[in-house]
Amino acid sequence: MFDFIIQGFGVALTPLNLGLAFTGALLGTLFGALPGIGPINGIAILMPLAYTLGLPAESALILLAGIYTGAEYGGRMSSILLNVPGDAGAVMTTLDGYPLAKQGLAGPALGISAISSFVGASIAILGLTLFAPLLAKVAVQFGPAELFTMMVFAFASMSVMMGKDPVKTALGAIIGVLIGTVGVDSGTGIQRFTFDIPDLYDGIDFVVLIIGMFAISEILLMLESRLQHGKTGALPVIGRVFVTMKEILYCKGAMLRSGLLGFLIGVLPGTGASVAGAVSYTTEKRVSDKHNTFGTGDMRGLAAPEAANNASAAGSFVPMLTLGIPGSGTTAVLLGALMLYNITPGPMMFSEHPKVAGGLIASLYIGNIVLLLLNLPLAGFFARVLTIPRWALVPGIVILSFVGVYQLHSDMGAIYLMLGIGVLGYLLRKLNFSLATIVLGFVLGGLMEENLRRALAISGGDSSILWQSGISQGLWLASLVLLLGPFLLSRLGKRKTQTA
Amino acid sequence: MRLAADRILGFALMGLAAFIVAQSLSIEVPFAYDPVGPKAFPIGLSILMAIFSLVLILRPGPEGDWPSASVLMQLGLVMVILIAFAFFFVRLGYPITAVATITAIARLFGASWRAACVTGVLMAGASYVLFTAVLEISLPTGLWFS
Repeated sequence: MFDFIIQGFGVALTPLNLGLAFTGALLGTLFGALPGIGPINGIAILMPLAYTLGLPAESALILLAGIYTGAEYGGRMSSILLNVPGDAGAVMTTLDGYPLAKQGLAGPALGISAISSFVGASIAILGLTLFAPLLAKVAVQFGPAELFTMMVFAFASMSVMMGKDPVKTALGAIIGVLIGTVGVDSGTGIQRFTFDIPDLYDGIDFVVLIIGMFAISEILLMLESRLQHGKTGALPVIGRVFVTMKEILYCKGAMLRSGLLGFLIGVLPGTGASVAGAVSYTTEKRVSDKHNTFGTGDMRGLAAPEAANNASAAGSFVPMLTLGIPGSGTTAVLLGALMLYNITPGPMMFSEHPKVAGGLIASLYIGNIVLLLLNLPLAGFFARVLTIPRWALVPGIVILSFVGVYQLHSDMGAIYLMLGIGVLGYLLRKLNFSLATIVLGFVLGGLMEENLRRALAISGGDSSILWQSGISQGLWLASLVLLLGPFLLSRLGKRKTQTA
Repeated sequence: MRLAADRILGFALMGLAAFIVAQSLSIEVPFAYDPVGPKAFPIGLSILMAIFSLVLILRPGPEGDWPSASVLMQLGLVMVILIAFAFFFVRLGYPITAVATITAIARLFGASWRAACVTGVLMAGASYVLFTAVLEISLPTGLWFS
């Protein structure tokens, strides 16, 4: 049953893949540390270039997964040092990280966050190794109807967990699904919403979509924030980066609890690091904040979200590898990267592509150790990346975006489309949409329609097939609980305070 | 009724939903391949989108802070530079357009003329070598010169 992991280490330990895991970890940390570039932007920008290298699928995935986990490490830098979260997953890191830095403990704060990230990721990677093959075994029995209800569940958990605004989360997902319907309909070969524009016949390309959404819109946001706020603050003194055993033991409980919690949230389809960070921080505050020190520079308040967001990154690979459903916005991008190689992740992944699945999981173990070794001594170096001026950074993003799209399409139409999507992405971000919902909608929507139509083709149009099996019924029930639960809970809470 | 950004968005999305429904209905399906067909899914989504848009119109969220006219001008300028980059990309080739674009954007983000020009030349040169020699991507060298 666990043959895949032995085979996986065989793949991951070849010199090429070892080198790629290392490169990915380094690049990811650098990209994560760069202001405004989180894991999802980093992967979006580097994905087309990784594709040009002509690497086999498992090697490309090892590189991209290294960037993903590395960026989760790098994202904490600006949270702790500048009070500016590098990406959505690192928002909670600012709460206790920045006060620590102001007290002159920037170094230990970086150190403890590296160790918590390592602990959190280790828990989650172990969970992934044990859990994924089991889930894949169950998922093999899924027919189109079960897969369809699984997507419904994914959207339900997304709308509840992501963002403060459920209406916009839903609208974002719908917009994403609708963008995915452009192009030739796979069921009939009929063109939908292409308006006789040849560039749209194959649908809107995934790379064009995510580079436009994330890279181009980011450029506009960066310019806006520069004009409104001027310069960012100076770096505080970093000092010692090593951490004492006492400090580690102090945070032990927070790391273990949050690592487990982060893994579970990561496994839930549609929810990623930002949710994991927020939930673990509030949980840890409730559990161990006896003297109201959270928010004033308590190391446990830093360890909790850091362990959780790295754990959720590894956890989000579980639904991606077993069900073909991305567990987070970033795994949605990785899923798209695999599709460039004509590999559709799903329950057959472990039997049909054991090299890819096993190699990826094994490389996560290796990457995790590399990241810890890289981040403890080099924290000072990575911190200096924060001082790279915007005027040098932005042109770099521009040329990487242009060349990345150009080399995949050799066609300027795709570049103009990317620019248009960039403006749209900017507007949506200004309107408080989470772009991850749109990407998830885009990736899941196509699968959802396909499975719905397949299911109904099997039943000859009888829609009861969608809730016949026990798995489907369970998923419908779980979706209902997720959608109505928060609403009912708040009603119940109100009634209690009224009667009291 | 207060005109909030969310309301404008709600109306725009409702219009989009109506447009998608109209477009979907006009798709001609010569043969019924499966009981659902290509129309139902987009139509169903549009109805959902219209419902959520209505919620947005009735209960708009807080008004975000929108860029002032002068900031908007600068944002427009970035887009003009990027469109020009795309327009001349094949015509003038990568090296020349990259130097010009990088310099212009660096200026826009507050670099001095000197720093912007140096960045433009160095970054364009280094990236050209990286892309063509190391990554073996073929980049346009200029249609107008050949």
